[in-house]
Amino acid sequence: MIPNTQHQDLNERLTLIETMIAEGRRSTESWGWTFVLWGVAYYVAIAWSTWGHSNLAWPVTMVAASVLMGILIGRKGRNTAETTVSRAISAVWIALGVSLFTLLLSLGISGRYDFHLFVAIIGALLGMTNATSALILRWKMQFASAVVWWVAAVAACFGSGTLTTIAFLAAIFFCQIVFGIYGMVREARQARASAAGQGALHA
Amino acid sequence: MPELPELNPVIHGKLRLALLSLLSSVEEAEFTWLRAKTGSTDGNLGAQLLKLEEAGYVAVEKQFVQRKPQTLYRITNPGRQALTEYVRALKQLLGAALEG
Repeated sequence: MIPNTQHQDLNERLTLIETMIAEGRRSTESWGWTFVLWGVAYYVAIAWSTWGHSNLAWPVTMVAASVLMGILIGRKGRNTAETTVSRAISAVWIALGVSLFTLLLSLGISGRYDFHLFVAIIGALLGMTNATSALILRWKMQFASAVVWWVAAVAACFGSGTLTTIAFLAAIFFCQIVFGIYGMVREARQARASAAGQGALHA
Repeated sequence: MPELPELNPVIHGKLRLALLSLLSSVEEAEFTWLRAKTGSTDGNLGAQLLKLEEAGYVAVEKQFVQRKPQTLYRITNPGRQALTEYVRALKQLLGAALEG
């Protein structure tokens, strides 16, 4: 026969195990700011290439944004745990970065650059990556972002130069800036809820 | 009446139990992440992780990332097995308490 106090203690331990496993599975990584950073980088590159008429605008801005992101991640420190899901999502975004850089740089150097093609490629690849991430995370808001990117890609294929520009600027605004800020707010809420729900554990 | 199981004393401590449970849900975790999740102090956390390491339940990897030291912990197969057996024993004891 187990005394009542011991029964309660055993129950608490079972709850502790369940809580910690759930806590470990919960993503605590903050990536909202990277969406905003890349959104701003796209706007800088567009402005520079439009008014500066420079072929270096896109490659220089993209490399600068990559370096800046690396520095900021290093400064923040990871302070995290790796799960199979987090590794899968990171892999998809890294693959996107390499694909976009290689493809767009090659198009630029070969002289086969075309604004419609450029937006269609960016839209399709960003749509695919956001959708992959959204399906893994079961995150409807991110899937909506993917749809906006796909719409921009289709608009670039069929629309005029003006329509393509508007679609591209709008997709950057909604899928990078707005979605990034939404992500940051959500992450801050999750961090607060996580901190409030936990007390210190002792041996 | 069947004999009641013994609970593994190495993981019975609340902090060690929390650490092993956390590590069972991730591939690997940094010391700082474990500290944030458990709200424990550096000294206590280090001591409890050392006990789990000595029991062969967690593996440690120390490395430098951008010249900063990083300590990564991961649960081992014996650690996962010990946690599974602990949960089984816990449920058995709780079941016995309800029957009693």
